[in-house]
Amino acid sequence: MGRSDRGELVQGTLDMLVLKTLVRGPMHGWGIAQSIQQISEEVLRVEEGSLYPALHRMELDGLIDAEWGQSENKRRAKYYRLTTRGLKALDEETAHWQQLARAIARVMETA
Amino acid sequence: MRKFAKRLAALWHRHRLDRDLEDELAFHLAMNAQHGGRPFGNTTAFKEACRDLWAFPTLEAWWHDLRFAFRMLVNTPLLTAAAIVALALGIGANTTVFTVVSSALHFDMGVDHIERLVALHPGEGLNSLDPALQAPTDFLNLRGQIKTVDHLAAYRFFAANVSDSHALPERFWCVQMTPSGWAMVRQQAILGRGFGPEDERADAQPTVLLTHKVWQNRYGGDPAILGKTIRVNDEERVVIGVMPVGAQFPEDADLWTPLTLRDVSDPVVRRELLVFGRLAPGVTLAAAQSEVNGVAKRSIASQVNGPVVRVRLFLEMIGVYQVRPVLIAMVFAVGFVLLIVCADVANLLLARAAARAREISIRIAIGAGRARIVRQLLVESVLLATAGGVGGWLVALAGLHWFDAMSSQGHRPSWMHFSMDAHVFAYLAAISIGAGILFGLAPALQLAKVDVIGAIKDGGRGAQGPRGRKLAGMLVGIQMALCVVLLAASGLLIHSTVKLYNAPLSVDASHVLTMRLDLPAAKYSSPDRVNAFYAQLKAALTSVPGVTRVTLGSHIPMLGFRYTRGQAQGGTAQQLAVITAGEDYFRTFAIRMLRGQAGRGQAVVNESFALKYWPGEDAVGRRVQVGGRSFDVSGVAADVQADVMHPLDRFAMVYLPFDGDPHASVFVMARTAVAPGRLIEIFRRTVQGLDANLPAQDVTPLADRIALQRLNVSSFSLLFAIFAAIALALAWVGLYAVVAQAVSRRTQEIGIRMAMGGTRRDIFALVVKQGMRQVAWGFVAGIPLALVVSRALSRQLVGVSPLDPATYVGVAVVLGLAGFLGSAIPARRAVRVDPLAALRYE
Repeated sequence: MGRSDRGELVQGTLDMLVLKTLVRGPMHGWGIAQSIQQISEEVLRVEEGSLYPALHRMELDGLIDAEWGQSENKRRAKYYRLTTRGLKALDEETAHWQQLARAIARVMETA
Repeated sequence: MRKFAKRLAALWHRHRLDRDLEDELAFHLAMNAQHGGRPFGNTTAFKEACRDLWAFPTLEAWWHDLRFAFRMLVNTPLLTAAAIVALALGIGANTTVFTVVSSALHFDMGVDHIERLVALHPGEGLNSLDPALQAPTDFLNLRGQIKTVDHLAAYRFFAANVSDSHALPERFWCVQMTPSGWAMVRQQAILGRGFGPEDERADAQPTVLLTHKVWQNRYGGDPAILGKTIRVNDEERVVIGVMPVGAQFPEDADLWTPLTLRDVSDPVVRRELLVFGRLAPGVTLAAAQSEVNGVAKRSIASQVNGPVVRVRLFLEMIGVYQVRPVLIAMVFAVGFVLLIVCADVANLLLARAAARAREISIRIAIGAGRARIVRQLLVESVLLATAGGVGGWLVALAGLHWFDAMSSQGHRPSWMHFSMDAHVFAYLAAISIGAGILFGLAPALQLAKVDVIGAIKDGGRGAQGPRGRKLAGMLVGIQMALCVVLLAASGLLIHSTVKLYNAPLSVDASHVLTMRLDLPAAKYSSPDRVNAFYAQLKAALTSVPGVTRVTLGSHIPMLGFRYTRGQAQGGTAQQLAVITAGEDYFRTFAIRMLRGQAGRGQAVVNESFALKYWPGEDAVGRRVQVGGRSFDVSGVAADVQADVMHPLDRFAMVYLPFDGDPHASVFVMARTAVAPGRLIEIFRRTVQGLDANLPAQDVTPLADRIALQRLNVSSFSLLFAIFAAIALALAWVGLYAVVAQAVSRRTQEIGIRMAMGGTRRDIFALVVKQGMRQVAWGFVAGIPLALVVSRALSRQLVGVSPLDPATYVGVAVVLGLAGFLGSAIPARRAVRVDPLAALRYE
């Protein structure tokens, strides 16, 4: 499955990235993966084996909604869309993440 | 909650979920193909992971395990069938015994805390026969004084003649009890009222309460009976109520009458009273006894040399309570049978486990957790046990049917019902699942520890690892140990039964017909009338062809006596065993007279009595005082067993002349020249010819009465013997299987041994030794346990010590023989091994 040491997602951050990506509008799984990869300039790689279970889990938890639609290449595709609960979860996760990042940064600077 | 609904929807549209997953995957792959992207990886894992999310994870896994377990069981039909049959027998036997024992020991007589009820019997402590000295400890005085026993009550139990305008006169059993006793009865009258304190007054209106049975049978369930007057023993009583079904306290009676203060003051009544009550909260039996002793000491200290009144548990008067240790031992015994079954099934599964090692290894290799494997295997064994439980239920139904039929031959109290209630089903479920876990756990843990690489390389030939073999050997040892306990218990009981049956009866019981009569005291109110009736009856019966001699008495020889306070000349006052004997009593039963003879108005004592009170002296001419009357001793009779159940005990007894007491039950006994059973009808008709309203009760040959008494011991022995036989057979199968497996596993080794010059004898000894070692272990481990169990049985043993060496030697022989056969049969197969073939075997 071609794991690389770098680019592996920090545990628990995938959900946040997916939610953030969906803020821009509904998207299918492949698109989400591509988007994260492109925006992170290929640093972050999303493994499909983690992405889809995460999507389904969030759908079950009501953070995102899904509906089937036509893709740009006229295929049947499943589009995921942020719900209000998902938006709230994203805010919380973002705040949590920023706090964590700042803390790590402080430690790294003083050392 | 929403999650649950979504999952439920997914479960409902299972195929749609699958299709959606496929489509999502297909879309992703298509996009990858079109735009380039990373290879997807394991698509099956993706689908599995997503599908699991939508499922009820645990539920589905259980369902999966269950389906898989079912397939596994169906795949090995023989093994499954064998296990289910064994389990059904084991679980069924346990359920039967549990049902019987729990209903027998439930004592559901309609009284709360029946285990705290105490009976107050006259003790040996009073050193005088003076009735004035008894007064301070009689019922009324005790009731006023003692604080440790609540609701102190008294009752007597007698046959009563009931007559009214409804039907012909009928004989019923009547309990006459002080209303204080009614305070303890839980049931309320379903019609009218029960007794209250007002019914105890000396001037109270005479009343009667009916059981549901009498109300239905005699009065057709008509509520209008309330307030009507019926005659009970020719005394008019108003029916005040009807009790519900199951109200049976303190005896199996048909009606209840109140015991008033006026009744209690009658010395004849007082003599028959049974005093009882309930221990006050927190009070022990010993505390109650010491308070009663204190009462006696305060008033009559000079004449007291022990308890004047003995406080005992009420339940001790009930026959079933006395055999409680045996019943509990029976629960253990049958539990052991189930344990042996479990060990057998565990061995079967261990053997199969060896064959499944490869399958399990592969499942572990592709990622199944060991816990999951254990769970899967446990689900299998519990499923197996559940099937066994269903079979066990059927076995229990049949067992209870049989037991019900068997026990209704004896005197079964009416509160004892053998029905499978919720408790029984809970027990059935618990032992089934418990058994499943018990026999499944060892093989499951064994398999989960399987050496994955080795087992896969091994090609699944199914070699049982050394741990598995050790476990199988241990199981056989445990089986043998349990067998020892059951064999010892049944051996002791059988030995005791044999002794009981072989003990010579002091009286030839083969040609004797007996019946009981209760003359209504109202009609036969004086000794003269009673005696006149019996003289007539005796004449009529003696003239029946086939009857050689007729007599009457208060008891049949060997089947009971009455304790009455009395005093042998020169001795102290105490309880004497008394039988009232009519003319020809000794001649009818051919009881030898050692000295003198029975004389009119005179007493006869038995040999033990004469030896006990007048050792080395002539008993004839001495005097005995019984119940306020004094008798000359005119003869000494040979000892007769006082109790067929204890044929070896000697017992001091005194025979008093028949006095025509209008209140007493009488047995009429006849020696016959023909089979006594043929005369039953004639006896009945003869009695009816003299008094159309007098039923002849229990017209039964003496031999049948004795057999009935012995049924108790012989049926317990039979049950234990059945359990022991089943246990032995099952343990034998276990041993055989383990040894046979060892032989087939060691075929190669045996071949080498033979090739190296080992003789057939050596090989045979090798195999048999292995089997016998386990038997020996089991024997050693089982003996201490057997000693504990046989102690519990000791009261049921007649003339046999719980340590009876013959029984234990017998157990060793039986076990050794079974062990030898169990290992000799596979050993024979071992010696037939062809060394060349065995070496090529690999």
